[in-house]
Amino acid sequence: MPWLKDEAMPAFLAALQSQGRLWVPVEEEWGSCLAVWEEKSLRLTPGPTLLAAKGLFLPQTEKLFHYRVEAEGAVISESEPPAAAARQIVFGLRPCDVAAVAVMDKVFLDGGYVDCAYRARREASALVALACREAAPTCFCRAFGLDPLAAPGADVLLLPLEGGYLVRAQTAKGEELLAQAQGVLAQEPALDWPAPPAFLLEVTAAGVPAKLAAMFDHPLWDNLYQKCLGCGICTYLCPTCYCFDVQSADRGTEGYRYRCWDSCMFPEYTLMAGGHNPRPTKKERVRNRFLHKLCYLPERFGVFGCVGCGRCLLKCPVNLDIAAVLKKVQEVGTHV
Amino acid sequence: MPENEVTLRMRRRAKELLAGGEVQQVIGWEKGTFWYQSPPVFIRQPEEADRLVWDDFCLANPAIYLLDDRYGQERVGLFVKGCDARAVVRLIQDRQLVRERVYLLGIPCPGLKDPEAARTTGRESAQLPPARRCQHCLYPNPVLYDELLAQTVAPRPPLAPRAAVKALEAKGVEERFRYWREHFRRCLRCFACRNVCPACNCTACLFDLARPTWLAKEVDPANNWFYGLVRALHVAGRCIECGECERVCPVGLPLMALNEKLAKDLEELFGFKGAGLDLEGLPPLSFWQPDDPDHFA
Repeated sequence: MPWLKDEAMPAFLAALQSQGRLWVPVEEEWGSCLAVWEEKSLRLTPGPTLLAAKGLFLPQTEKLFHYRVEAEGAVISESEPPAAAARQIVFGLRPCDVAAVAVMDKVFLDGGYVDCAYRARREASALVALACREAAPTCFCRAFGLDPLAAPGADVLLLPLEGGYLVRAQTAKGEELLAQAQGVLAQEPALDWPAPPAFLLEVTAAGVPAKLAAMFDHPLWDNLYQKCLGCGICTYLCPTCYCFDVQSADRGTEGYRYRCWDSCMFPEYTLMAGGHNPRPTKKERVRNRFLHKLCYLPERFGVFGCVGCGRCLLKCPVNLDIAAVLKKVQEVGTHV
Repeated sequence: MPENEVTLRMRRRAKELLAGGEVQQVIGWEKGTFWYQSPPVFIRQPEEADRLVWDDFCLANPAIYLLDDRYGQERVGLFVKGCDARAVVRLIQDRQLVRERVYLLGIPCPGLKDPEAARTTGRESAQLPPARRCQHCLYPNPVLYDELLAQTVAPRPPLAPRAAVKALEAKGVEERFRYWREHFRRCLRCFACRNVCPACNCTACLFDLARPTWLAKEVDPANNWFYGLVRALHVAGRCIECGECERVCPVGLPLMALNEKLAKDLEELFGFKGAGLDLEGLPPLSFWQPDDPDHFA
């Protein structure tokens, strides 16, 4: 298997960048995110970046089409589909992040309707994953059966070992990427396969979807939501939360329609014409968020809507901890 | 589990108040997932009162939860630090709450610690820097209470008062423009700063309105900026400078610099000492006097 020496990383990244726009984890004063690679900008810390990669496939705001009203009627001009030309390579995704992209794929590609804008971006993207030798304190991917040393679904997997990385192409796209980087790769030295990292949070999701299916009216929800601020931090940091809204920007006789991220934590999310709101309080909204991730998505697509990345746990201002919710669901009796 | 004297008193008083039927619920803090987290907790049964704690990380302001039941009848026992008590005063002044609905258990606050420093350095509590907002706190003792759970503390002289504002004021207009543009560019529009804010107590927020749409849902620098600046101006004179907006911001926007700038202006223009210091003193932008400064004339 090809071997990437630590000191060859910049040359490897340069080889990737020659094949498309290269996004890598960087550290800003306020937190970490993915940014277009520049010399020495790569920063690797345990766990995923604070801001997830989902915006690269589902931008927070995206124009859909422009319209103009003329004497003969309305003229619609569709926005350029996110061009196949915008080839992008996303480097340093952790196994949880790769699993999260697979959840998004289920929704936007396999759910019965193919979202053409999402598909164009996904097809133009290559995922270069980085296995986790160390977990952040907020990590709990194993609860959902993920292997921190593997990232099925990534085009290339890098496994950090002493002095470098084992590099494995996992798809045809990955092989193509690596073909351009042959010059900087060496041959694998004899190294032992590492042990998985230790995790601080002990949590499993065993039995949770089936149990939750009968817990819609459970008194658990009566207390759980109380401290929730009703903000959108958890949903906007979540790498699998995919909800969006479609809105118009009207400017007289012309304007455009766009879609943008939306959050089920906001009252306006379920507000209907006429003023009825089927999720009128934080209780219904919090319940829906957990049911969606831990029950509805497993029922519909066979995947959890949580990958244990720990972003919400890291940033929720009131510590409404989904790992603790998993435990609570497992502990409580189901009689109501 | 920290079991300092204040914690033990909190638990005992919560049990007494709940068991005696004087309150139906108490709101305080409990330990969270990590040792540097003390999120809000809601207690209805006396036997649950042992979950309550008082430690260096009780940053959350429990007063904002009174808004979730602002039209209710229940009486709530509320643990309040200096800043939390100012929030209660503001809610009463804004007619969001009647005084009789809360029983205030005041905690003179020695200043709290920065949980982010705890997370990133792993140092023990005593070695941690103070929480940012506590560095400037002039009112650590609750300004309104029914009982105090500890001796009052002497306010510490604030470290570098209004330093952030003064540093920004020293920059030129162009530079300030770039500074705020770069910060607001990354705003996620999660509304955590608004939702945690005791001054943001409107029953319907203009930023949520779909018709008319004041704030477009597009997340771009212009709309982010509009949101951030309008919110800051809206809470001018009502902001108690508790720093919760800045604490909760997931992308670290320096929101208190805006709030402190407005507080500084209000002090210079109206001699205003701060919001929520007593039930009588109204925010200067809530009423009008013939001799108000009128620079626009």
